[in-house]
Amino acid sequence: MNIEIKESNGGYYAILSGWLDTNVATEFLEELKTLEEHADKAIELDCGKLEYICSLGLRGLLKLQKLSVAKGGTLVLTHVNDEIQKILTLTGFIKLFNFR
Amino acid sequence: MDFVFSGFNLYAWITILTVLSMFTVLLLTKLRADLVFLGAIAILFVTGVLNAKEAFSGFSSTSVVIIGVLFVVVAGLTHTGVLQWIVKHLLGQPESYSKAVIRLMLPVAGLSSFLSNTTVVALFVGIVKMWSKKLGVSPSKLLIPLSYASGMGGVCTLIGTPPNLIISGLYAEQTGVAMNVLTTTIPGLFCLFIGVLSIIAMRNLLPDRKAPESAFESTSEYTVELLVPSDNPNIGMTINEAGLNNVRGGNLIEVVHYDEFVGPADGDEILMGGDRLIYSGQIDEILDLKKTHGLVNADHYVFTLSEIDKNRQLRTAYVTFGSSLIGKAIGNTNFEKDYGLVLVAVARSGKRIEQSPREVVIQAGDTLLLDCPPKLKIDTSSLASKLHFFDSDQVPNIGKKTLISTTIMIAMVVLSALNIIPLLQCAFLAAIAMLVFQCCNVDQAMKSINWEILMVFAGSVVLGVAIQKTGIAERLAFGILDVCGDNPIVVMTAICFVGTFITEFISNTAAGAMFFPIMYQAAEKLGYEPFPFLVALMVSVSSSFATPIGSPTHMLVYGPGGYRFSDFMRIGLLMNLIILAANIFIVNIIYPLTPLH
Repeated sequence: MNIEIKESNGGYYAILSGWLDTNVATEFLEELKTLEEHADKAIELDCGKLEYICSLGLRGLLKLQKLSVAKGGTLVLTHVNDEIQKILTLTGFIKLFNFR
Repeated sequence: MDFVFSGFNLYAWITILTVLSMFTVLLLTKLRADLVFLGAIAILFVTGVLNAKEAFSGFSSTSVVIIGVLFVVVAGLTHTGVLQWIVKHLLGQPESYSKAVIRLMLPVAGLSSFLSNTTVVALFVGIVKMWSKKLGVSPSKLLIPLSYASGMGGVCTLIGTPPNLIISGLYAEQTGVAMNVLTTTIPGLFCLFIGVLSIIAMRNLLPDRKAPESAFESTSEYTVELLVPSDNPNIGMTINEAGLNNVRGGNLIEVVHYDEFVGPADGDEILMGGDRLIYSGQIDEILDLKKTHGLVNADHYVFTLSEIDKNRQLRTAYVTFGSSLIGKAIGNTNFEKDYGLVLVAVARSGKRIEQSPREVVIQAGDTLLLDCPPKLKIDTSSLASKLHFFDSDQVPNIGKKTLISTTIMIAMVVLSALNIIPLLQCAFLAAIAMLVFQCCNVDQAMKSINWEILMVFAGSVVLGVAIQKTGIAERLAFGILDVCGDNPIVVMTAICFVGTFITEFISNTAAGAMFFPIMYQAAEKLGYEPFPFLVALMVSVSSSFATPIGSPTHMLVYGPGGYRFSDFMRIGLLMNLIILAANIFIVNIIYPLTPLH
């Protein structure tokens, strides 16, 4: 699992890749803190190379989404593949995020 | 054949080892009893202990055929509501426990003397549970008496219980004289009388246990599992925000997410579709969360509430002894998928189970609350071998056919009791009459024949033949005479005593078939007519009171009564001895010992 965060056009662009299971979830949540600090900006999470996401990972993404809404920022998930879409549909989280 | 060891030749040793291995296999494995018996017969045949005629004698045995035909007669009675009619009119509203025991045990014994004990008890279990609630008595105080009554009632006629038919059949083959269908009636009634008095006197030995499914009505001792469908409006909220933590009547114990990650039930956990919420508390109130919070019972992910059939119903079932579910967690089996059921909760005689119901390792007697499809067929043999449903007995309409089937049954008993027509012919005529008068249809008749049981009966007869042919019976009879001396009553008591305790672990029929030659030989060696000895044997092999595995009817009440194994021992050991004494006493009075001519 890897997360690569870049600043772009005054917002943030992050690429998530690999297998995000419970073993690496804590590390992922730590990395997300950087984005949480900038939740008032536009954030794009590119999930094109993300192969799996566990419930802890989803919980982290939801926290970021709620912070964005609270601080007036935006969070968009892009390039969501079939596997991740399945998980989002199953958990009902598909209705909670914005996609592009 | 020169090999002789401890007085037994090679064939006798093969028989002894076969019998011992057979019962070890039956006790320690879950192999079907009919297959085990068939295997034993095969060994005895292949090794030359029995010739072809002897090996298959059980299948043509008159008594086995009668048992088979009687299944059809009983089907006619059951499908026309005779049992239900009797239940409805006999139990009433007694004022004391003693009167309740009498009101219960006498009709049950009466019915069991003509019908299959299991059928009678299966019907009464549910009714007694409701009745006990009405009387304010714990069902555990009435369900053991129910089962005992059916056993003691069965003894009262030759057709009431298979061992009676087997022993009388073997007697007829040996002597050419058929026993009357009412041979055991007076001894049986006397033992029943003593049995009822004993139960009343020893009522304190019966446990006062809460009924397992009353746990499903209002206790906080059980766990319930509910699933969050993917369209639940509370998804994304914390458990606290969704109002799912401290709910009316219970508490959330844990949240299991779709990836099997177990989240703490601290209220801050985020609710996701596919979550399984495990609650402990009052089951009926927790199940209200289905209405109020859009949760469902399900064994698989559910995307929308509409995927769940609104007509599904909750039903209670008990795990039968020998059920293939024992020792497994339902979640690790295909059980739910195979039958379209969902396990909602598990109860185990008052013990709290701190686990998701689906992870509970199932034990015999556990009570399961299941979410069932509206048209679940609970009488299929594969499901019935695993579970006994509390509401499994259909209630037929009571009408003209009820009267017809009762008349047929009474005519059968009277005609054979008065020796107008032999029992086998009577049974065939009665079965045909049941079909002709449409008391049951051909399908119901065929389904009512329990081939597994018939095979076991046939196998028991063949084992009896082997025990006799190889001289085991004679040797054992001599052994007993050596130990007990030549007092016929002491010998009769000793064999009946062993029979009573052996039958706690093996089927009554097998015990009857195997002890017949021993008792017969012992009586002859003493120089007495074997008839009274065999009557005493009939009563004793059906007197298994001390273990729940001693009789299928005990198994039927074990779960519903919330009993433990030791509950049967506490009262049953004394009952075994009391009934044995009553048996020997009455048989010797009614059928005094007569020397052989």
